[in-house]
Amino acid sequence: MKTGVYLCQTGTGDPDAISVHAVASYAGNLPNVEVVRDLGVLPKLDTTALADELRREGLERLVIAGDSPGFFKPSFTRAMTLAGGDPREVRLASFREYGASRGTGTARAKGVLACAVLGVPYALAAVPDTTAVGPATLIIGAGVAGIQAALEIADAGKQVHLVERAGTIGGHMAMFDKTFPTLDCAACILTPKMVAVGQHESIDLMTYSEVEDVTGRPGAYMVKVRKKARRVDADACVACHACMEVCPVRVPSEFDNGIAERKAVYMPFPQAVPNAYLIDESACTYVQSDGKKCGVCAKKCPKECIDLDQADEIVELEVGNIVLATGYDVYDATKIERYGYGTVPNVLTALEFERLTNASGPTGGKIVCKTKRFNKRTKADEWVFDAAEGQAPRSVAIIHCVGSRDANHNAYCSRVCCMYSLKFAHLVKEKLPEADCYEFYIDMRAFGKGYEEFADRIKAEGTFCVRGRTAKVFETDGQMLLRGEDMVSEKLVEFPVDMVLLAVGLVPAHGTDDLARMLSLPTDEGWFSELDYNADPTDTERGGISVAGACQAPKDIPDTVAQASAVAAGVLKSIATGRGLDSRADLSLADIEARAASLVEV
Amino acid sequence: MAIRANPKLIDELEAYGAQDVSKCYHCGNCSATCPFSGGDTVFPRRAMRQLQMGLESKLDSSLDPWLCYYCGECSDDCPRDAEPGETMMSLRRWLTARYDWTGISRLFYRSWKWELAAIIVAALLTGAGFLLAGFYLGGGDIGVYNGENAFLPAGDSWYGLPTGSGVHLFDWILAAVLVFFLGSNCVRMWWKTMGKNPYTRWAVGAYLRRLWVLPAHFVTQMRYAKCDRKRPWAVHLVLMLSYLTMLVLIMFFLGYMASGPEIDWRVHIFGILATVGLLATTIWAMRGRMLKTETQYQHSHESDWMFLTLLVIVAGTGILQFGLHRAGADAAANVAYVVHLMGVVPMLALEVPFSKWSHLAYRPLAMYFADVRADVETAKAKQRAAEPIGAAQTA
Repeated sequence: MKTGVYLCQTGTGDPDAISVHAVASYAGNLPNVEVVRDLGVLPKLDTTALADELRREGLERLVIAGDSPGFFKPSFTRAMTLAGGDPREVRLASFREYGASRGTGTARAKGVLACAVLGVPYALAAVPDTTAVGPATLIIGAGVAGIQAALEIADAGKQVHLVERAGTIGGHMAMFDKTFPTLDCAACILTPKMVAVGQHESIDLMTYSEVEDVTGRPGAYMVKVRKKARRVDADACVACHACMEVCPVRVPSEFDNGIAERKAVYMPFPQAVPNAYLIDESACTYVQSDGKKCGVCAKKCPKECIDLDQADEIVELEVGNIVLATGYDVYDATKIERYGYGTVPNVLTALEFERLTNASGPTGGKIVCKTKRFNKRTKADEWVFDAAEGQAPRSVAIIHCVGSRDANHNAYCSRVCCMYSLKFAHLVKEKLPEADCYEFYIDMRAFGKGYEEFADRIKAEGTFCVRGRTAKVFETDGQMLLRGEDMVSEKLVEFPVDMVLLAVGLVPAHGTDDLARMLSLPTDEGWFSELDYNADPTDTERGGISVAGACQAPKDIPDTVAQASAVAAGVLKSIATGRGLDSRADLSLADIEARAASLVEV
Repeated sequence: MAIRANPKLIDELEAYGAQDVSKCYHCGNCSATCPFSGGDTVFPRRAMRQLQMGLESKLDSSLDPWLCYYCGECSDDCPRDAEPGETMMSLRRWLTARYDWTGISRLFYRSWKWELAAIIVAALLTGAGFLLAGFYLGGGDIGVYNGENAFLPAGDSWYGLPTGSGVHLFDWILAAVLVFFLGSNCVRMWWKTMGKNPYTRWAVGAYLRRLWVLPAHFVTQMRYAKCDRKRPWAVHLVLMLSYLTMLVLIMFFLGYMASGPEIDWRVHIFGILATVGLLATTIWAMRGRMLKTETQYQHSHESDWMFLTLLVIVAGTGILQFGLHRAGADAAANVAYVVHLMGVVPMLALEVPFSKWSHLAYRPLAMYFADVRADVETAKAKQRAAEPIGAAQTA
């Protein structure tokens, strides 16, 4: 079948990812390829001229190769029809669809093109051999994704090693007050699962631990995990708080996002799993002074379970599958100076408000503005939340897309912010019915089941949704003012508000890039790349390594849980059959060509 | 009344230097950041929208682009890199072409080759003309700069008005031509922005009340000072004042300017200061455009470069002939003078009415018109408030 290859680029991808020239010369050597044309970026296609060429060269098959060749398909189909050929023989070699990115780009593009020329779907040809898979599974990250996947796999009777960097499992969901759109209590959903993980006989829970090194091959990975010194025996600790009461060191609490303090010996929150204390070595006086000072907690502990001199421990595991569930961090709002975060006291990030409004938070769920107080230790004024003295805000503004959908920050949509912002408006209105609540949005993205209805409900509750992004938050005479354009009335607006909530976007959790390097996994904008967004949303290029939850891309809780269960299904399949696919990343071009050729014969 | 949309408007504007207008997703950040935007005058997002929708007639009557000084804050903060500042700049070029009835402006902005060719032709014609005039009509002695038998005599004047032949008379003829073209374009601008609307057409009171705005903005560009960054305003002001000084000197004191060889400090000090101002600011702007130091210098249109180059040539040869004459090299001073005129004529005859320099008239006019419009709107609102409810319907 005489084939013509036309290279057309849309020029929207990474320009250095693929050498189009190398792909074009490779195309010339493929069997049956008569014509190769590099039409460059966004060519102006002349259908009649194309049809003439098809007729002249007697081409029976056309391959459009490029980053998004579907963009050009209509012109080629028309040309093919004009030339009297079969329009079904216009085939696409889409580099982007098959993840030809920087590094492997050119080789991958060649493989995609070879398959298109032979008329074989790339996904069928680029399948690696299978390898034997070991029975145990490593899950990195114990947020709701890791917890869900761990429970699914462990409930099937298979061994799970669940590694968590923090002192407790639960992740971000444990911090939340309510979930959207059902307004369920987040803790009521999550804590039973956390407890189940803690008690599960098939789950080897390693909190305050980090993966140091991964070697081996798909199906038989050797993993080194560093169990950081907790300095409190988690099995013996009964959480009597005696150590915490005597500890003299105060530092901002991570769990409360810095709006409250904790001690150097602490339990992240009362429902933590394992329900035991740990010592923050970077804050602990004893550790920092090499055992010369303090050490009162060990003396006070009635169970004598504090070992202040405990050292880190390295554990080696052999696992068949690895599940990545490392989640996200929120965007650093101090990078956007015009919103005044960090300088104007009552500008809060989403997670801070989440803790403020949470019944287990520092104010017991009372929404108040910060109070100015003199700190005797630092000899400076500071703004703190005080449930007793704090004034309830008369008006609250929520600014959407903070750090998201912005060429100067993150270009992508963080997906969850519109919905959690609406949830915040509800929580404000529920607790402070008299307060005015404004949402400043660009586009309201209520995309899931029941989400649009939720948005309607929030508007009906009296929240003002102003279409237009806020440009500036500033203070004049102690009054916070917010300036923006109301798009609908084409007017500039300035609202006096008492509290501003920044709907900060999501970014990959810190350390995601290190982990990606360790596992040689590709990333997109820092998030782990899945194999195929449509057909293989949980697998990666490395055999036996899959992704669950927000470490792949911003995701809400329902999607995260669904993906975690899907990952568990894939893991269990490989354990049940004893075989799993090898790494696609290691497939050579020759392998793909050979397999594609054999498929053509079938 | 339905508005006819022109879907090709964005493409059309790209020829005038617009960038990425279609990227805009209307968050309103630019309008809220803009130090000039406020009340009913909300831009640049409005212009972005009108462009995306192809609302040609709305843009045609819009004053917004002239109220923008391109401080660049909107483009810096734009989350889509849609370049609202550059859009306003290219709209000003587009509007200049729309106001111009001769079509020359449109030709120049859309094709730098035409503009360059026209400048060169005008320069050559000027050069040839003055050489002819010098050799055959004047004294004919290239070795004499001023006084009796001067190669290019300034001409006699009475209170600054030329009474005899000479360069001075030529200046006034050139000024008349310039005023004719620019003036007629200004009238067209008035018609498009104010005249078409009967409310603003006859608001004589408002026009008189706000008349002070025109000279005030022309001389001080005080609105520019509202930008967070003050330096661009300062540079613009120095450039503008230097130019104005030079204009006054040449129109009214040409005879004193050409006097010498001893320096007449009463007049020449102004000339020297103005030249220093012109050279410093144009070179600063050229350096900025070359190194792209500021947001407004990121995208340079060919017309920007021609404008700056002409200014440097004119100012440079101006001070050169002054110096040469003082040094006694009269022949060289005369050559510099001819080159100087070869720069002056295209600059005044082409750049002022048809290209970048026309904004010296359009911008103060736009501010004046905008204030008149605001007055008319306020009066209308007052009138509406005074009317009994339902009166409008029954009438």
